[in-house]
Amino acid sequence: MIYLSMTLSKILRYIFLAVFNALIVYAFPLTLAYESWFFLSLIIVIGLLVNFVYFTEKFQPMKWILPGMIFMLSFVVFPAVYNTFVSFTNWSTGHILTKTQAISVLEDRVYTPENQKGIEFDIYILQDIDLSFYYVAYLNDQNILFGKAVSDDEIFSSSLATHEPSLFNNGEFVTPDGFTLLTGKEQIANSSSLQELSLVIDKNTRAQLYKISVFGASTGRLSSTSQLYKYDDVNDTLINNATNTVCPVVKDNFECEGKEIEPGWRVFVGGENYRKLFSSQRIRGPLNVVAKWTFQFALLSVLLSFAVGLFLSMILNKNGLRFQRIYRAIFILPYAIPAFVSALVWKGLLNPDYGLINSWLGPIYELVDAEPIKWLTTKESARTAVLLVNTWLGFPYMFLITTGALQSIPRELIEAAKVDGASGLQSFWRITFPLLMVSISPLLIGSFAFNFNNFTLIFLLSGGGPPIVGSDVSVGWTDILISFTYKLAISGGRGNLFGLASSVTIIIFALVLIISAISFRYTKRLERVYGNI
Amino acid sequence: MDIRIYEREYMKTNKLRFIVFLLMFSLVAVACGGDTADDAAEAPDTTEAPKETLAAPATTAPPPEVIVVWAEEKVAEALNPLVGAYEAAAGVDVEVVAYDFGAIRTDVQTAGPAGEGPDVFLGAHDWVGELAANGVVSPLDLGSVASDIFEVGVTAFSYAGEVYGFPYATEAIAMYYNADLVDSVPTTWEEAKAACDAAGTEFCVGTPSNDAYHNHPFVASAGGYVFASEGGFDASDVGLDNAGAIASAEFLDGLVKNGTVTNTDYGGAMSNFQEGRALFWMTGPWARNDASAVNYGVGLIPQFDGNPATPFVGVRGAMVSSFSEKQVLAQSFILDFFATVEVQQAMYESDPRLPATKSLFAIVEAADPIAAQFAASASNGIPMPNIPEMGSVWGPMADALNVIRTQAYGTNEETGVTISNASDAVKLAAEQIRNAIAGG
Repeated sequence: MIYLSMTLSKILRYIFLAVFNALIVYAFPLTLAYESWFFLSLIIVIGLLVNFVYFTEKFQPMKWILPGMIFMLSFVVFPAVYNTFVSFTNWSTGHILTKTQAISVLEDRVYTPENQKGIEFDIYILQDIDLSFYYVAYLNDQNILFGKAVSDDEIFSSSLATHEPSLFNNGEFVTPDGFTLLTGKEQIANSSSLQELSLVIDKNTRAQLYKISVFGASTGRLSSTSQLYKYDDVNDTLINNATNTVCPVVKDNFECEGKEIEPGWRVFVGGENYRKLFSSQRIRGPLNVVAKWTFQFALLSVLLSFAVGLFLSMILNKNGLRFQRIYRAIFILPYAIPAFVSALVWKGLLNPDYGLINSWLGPIYELVDAEPIKWLTTKESARTAVLLVNTWLGFPYMFLITTGALQSIPRELIEAAKVDGASGLQSFWRITFPLLMVSISPLLIGSFAFNFNNFTLIFLLSGGGPPIVGSDVSVGWTDILISFTYKLAISGGRGNLFGLASSVTIIIFALVLIISAISFRYTKRLERVYGNI
Repeated sequence: MDIRIYEREYMKTNKLRFIVFLLMFSLVAVACGGDTADDAAEAPDTTEAPKETLAAPATTAPPPEVIVVWAEEKVAEALNPLVGAYEAAAGVDVEVVAYDFGAIRTDVQTAGPAGEGPDVFLGAHDWVGELAANGVVSPLDLGSVASDIFEVGVTAFSYAGEVYGFPYATEAIAMYYNADLVDSVPTTWEEAKAACDAAGTEFCVGTPSNDAYHNHPFVASAGGYVFASEGGFDASDVGLDNAGAIASAEFLDGLVKNGTVTNTDYGGAMSNFQEGRALFWMTGPWARNDASAVNYGVGLIPQFDGNPATPFVGVRGAMVSSFSEKQVLAQSFILDFFATVEVQQAMYESDPRLPATKSLFAIVEAADPIAAQFAASASNGIPMPNIPEMGSVWGPMADALNVIRTQAYGTNEETGVTISNASDAVKLAAEQIRNAIAGG
């Protein structure tokens, strides 16, 4: 019986491995085709590892650990490493391609001398018995040009097109003997080849197809026989054929007569992004304000939501309370609504002029004879609002975990304290709370780290606003580090500055890491003290 | 004892395992071999492939070329029933992929270089600078189609001397009015305020506070501009603090002070208009369904000192990815199919934006006078700058407008900078933008 089940598991294992290896082998030529050597090596390593572990009996524990490790590597370690890598590059708008790609984009460009621009004419496409393509370009009655269509390599060795008025009889095209005229459909079927071909008119001019029409004759345009840019790989320069200038490489772009040629390409810039972050007064000034507020925001969010959550769970933890479940369900509701929906709803509620909050508070304003609070428009009101909403969003989670933790605290301990004459408050602060912290504090640290990067709430609720008037960059009073990063590098610069953005996230990562490490050490101490009870 | 037997067995099975492994590996390799052979056939170095198929047309027809089009959902819905005609006529497959509009901008830049992108994609003109700077979009020769397109559309898609798209729709804001309470939009802001007072509505003109797009007329109508636009936008010439811009910012300040425009966001402005609490709503043609909660009409935004209001004009168009391997085919598809008035009209019916071509406008104008009003408003406007530096503008400009719209004047305790009026606000915004562009 056991033997049978073992073979079954073996069969399953081999099926899995067969599928896995099939995928690996399938991915192999793909990575080669895209020349992504990193993925190729990754696939080889993972492939070998998996086969090695599951085909032998040597690594029994690895069989359980390996899948987790692979997922961790690909979804946690790889993005983190990649992010770090990007932070050392100039990756940004205008520099997203590799140098090879940028050169190939530039070399693909053709140009048309000013006096030939806008000239459009019909092109008839013929094929001879050897299946070579020939173009007939009907420029005008004096220039009915016929010749072999050649690729860019043959352009300067090709014979020039000749004037062949005989191809037209009373304006009707006559297919010459030995040739077949391609229909629109055939032209389209061959479009990949045709787009590489041109008819050489004279030393400097060629005709190229620019529109294949299925409803009439296709259309052509004139352009220079030489492409606009030619890359000189010996000197690593670009030659502009239109102006006959040599464009040297300046850092990550070619520069023609002092003007950057787009696109540029990605290069490794070392610590330049970090240097910019710390040396540019423009960024450093607001960074101080933002960093301070980020800590306040994350800390207060956790404390407030924890306080509210704990308070409610204490109240509802009484035995024999009626409708206990219904109360609990109600309190968990904010947690069930997606945070981005809540944030948008709160934004509407908080509108100072017609929002529900101010219209509810209206009588109170009148009672104390105060100006209505301009929610989200002043520094204090915006920060208060952000914290209030985040408390509202966060307390159900705290409520949930404290309810669970409270129920796991042995009742005898509290009863023993009561016998010893401790008041309710004393037994809470001396017994319940410390015991609670043992199991809850790691979650509080997690919550802190989450709120430290709570982009959704800030972006949707206040958009970081109101603006800090007079700062050198666009930044708001409720901007936290991550939303400031977004403004600085994604929505607020010259396009997207991925390199700079990555460097800020690395700094945020370091901050969160340090805080978490310190907090966890503190938690361990808690555990030592109270864990044995 | 037991263990030793197990080990001996283990050695035996181990050999077996290795054989099984080899066998499976070869099987897998064979199975995949078919794929790699296909790949080789598709490789670009075999230009002979179509010739061979032409030589024997009866037996093997070449697989049809596939044109992949990325379009937002509504447009994709309109295109899908129509592409069949082109497919049949041209013998190609057109694959219209319904794509999230905003995601098209980012994804063509990642998918293109990776060899996965579309051949043709539909997008907004203000992406052009970024896409062209990144080298992911090809210039498009409009040819004879150009004469049918409104000038503003071609300007919008021009970047560094080249045109990068075929414009198919424009949009610009105008002014909705509640037709039950007022007959038309007055020509001046003073008259607009008077109309609101007469109608007795709680709010007068609704438009979002910290949104540089909707507020552009308040900045640019009296001679201000974001970037100078003589032959392409010039990032080194920011005109947000010139005399005209300051005058119109102060004018806006006056409108806020006398309650003509109030602090609100887009949703607020909309609900105020829908509930009849605001007489006017400044926004674009996309909101016509929302506005129809009341009996509405549309007119031009009131003038500033005799100058017509200049809204930002957004233009949408079809572009060719520079990573498409079918450049000519993609371009032919746009000019021969997409640009035809039938297709344009179908897209208009599915997603009523303003026509960008004269032939479609002629059809729409007669049938839809409200669209004509929007088009008239757009004709006074200027295209949103399409250069990547525009990214540095939105934030500071929105901040300055927000300060004016919420009257948040005062001294900042952190920076010590005082903004005492609207003129200070726009001056500061212009300074921030110049800094951002200089600081790269």
